[in-house]
Amino acid sequence: MSRAPAVPVPGRAPGHLGPEPFVVELDRFRGPLDLLLHLIRSQDIDIFDIPIARITAQFQVALDAGLERLELDRAGEFIEMASTLVRIKAQLLLPRNEEPDWEEDPRADLVRRLLEYEYFLDVARVLLGAEADRRRHFAKGYVEPRPAPEASLPELETGREEFLEAVRSMPEPGPEASHRAPTRSVTVEEKMSLLGRLLEKARRLAFEKLFRPWGTRPHAVAALMACLEMARQQLIRIEQTVPFGSIWIFPRPRLVEGGEAEERGDEPRAAGAAEGA
Amino acid sequence: MRPEQIVEATLFASLGPLTPEELARADESLDAAGVREAIDALRESYDEADRAFQVYQLGDGYQVLTRPEYAPYLERFDAVPRSPTLSEAALETLAIIAYRQPIGRVEIEEVRGVGSSSVLHTLQDWEMIEVVGRGEGLGRPLLYGTTRKFLDHFGFQDLDDLPEPEELAVSLREEGGAGGDEGPAEPQPVQRELEPTDEGEEERGG
Repeated sequence: MSRAPAVPVPGRAPGHLGPEPFVVELDRFRGPLDLLLHLIRSQDIDIFDIPIARITAQFQVALDAGLERLELDRAGEFIEMASTLVRIKAQLLLPRNEEPDWEEDPRADLVRRLLEYEYFLDVARVLLGAEADRRRHFAKGYVEPRPAPEASLPELETGREEFLEAVRSMPEPGPEASHRAPTRSVTVEEKMSLLGRLLEKARRLAFEKLFRPWGTRPHAVAALMACLEMARQQLIRIEQTVPFGSIWIFPRPRLVEGGEAEERGDEPRAAGAAEGA
Repeated sequence: MRPEQIVEATLFASLGPLTPEELARADESLDAAGVREAIDALRESYDEADRAFQVYQLGDGYQVLTRPEYAPYLERFDAVPRSPTLSEAALETLAIIAYRQPIGRVEIEEVRGVGSSSVLHTLQDWEMIEVVGRGEGLGRPLLYGTTRKFLDHFGFQDLDDLPEPEELAVSLREEGGAGGDEGPAEPQPVQRELEPTDEGEEERGG
């Protein structure tokens, strides 16, 4: 249990007993009792005869220095203790019996709390030692049987050959730039019905077939969207066995057997799109 | 097949502490007392043979663990997450609960002088403490106690392994009355290191 070290104010002797002998960082203390104990123990004060005025002053100095950095709840805990200290200080100023009775000492309850808290700090220190000792014993299963398997996916390594191959397979720039032919707009729905019809005839279909013949970006985009949409509707299954390899589209049973696909295939717009190839 | 060998095989194959009753399930010839005898015999033989492991008691269970002097070697294999080391606030709170259980949050906070809900939640998440009942009074507050895992985490056999609690109020009155020139007797730190004691279990009431 390390306690925040008392840092002497520069220019003051460490044993200085003035009202503010220590600069303490409030947030390093677990609470007001911890701080009080620090003030008492670090100045070798007799805990049964606490100079309340001095300790109260030091406590308030510490609060002034660090209270605003604390969360509201924690700050409240320190303030509550400060008010307790002030109350005790006031009670001590009242006239007292000739023979002071410990039980009537206004400080008694605070001292009891401090000693009790200090006792549990000691127990906590014992627990800390026991925990450290326990951690030196190891149970079965601690050492892993083999190096942990790589959790990451295989790296997508693309060689120069693969890259060049990919560039070569890119469609030539479409004719629309030079011919000024109006770009035929193509919809995702058209691509979906095209895909549906093509899959009626084939057991599988290469993704390229859906846009390569048109050679324009809108077709490629629409084809991709169509595939994703139909995969989402679980009408098709998409497979790519190696990174950057061909993408294959498979019909799912519903597409072939159900009436849904046929309806789509009969849409006039879809037929038009296919003819445009 | 001697009982020691059966108990040894069971302990060897176990990943956690086993009570004598659990160990006795291995064979009809075994009972809890027989298991304890077997464990004592095993401990002796491991000591004689200078094995790197020993049978340790954690809570009411037994487990084969390495001896502490091999920790530096094993720590090189620190790949598997181990049980967490507890914060100062958690240790302090556990200390209070260990001595005062069953105890409610408000009483804990009175001792510590600070709010303790979050540290109680953490300790519950780590299964160091559990709700053991409800107190009298407003709202029937939850009462907490320490768990078997608490004993395991600190290598304790039972709560007697904690330092003897002082009667704080009594010592205060005495010392205060006597002029209060000395602090209260500090608890003796428990310096044992998971000693595989073979002192009788009867003593502990089993």
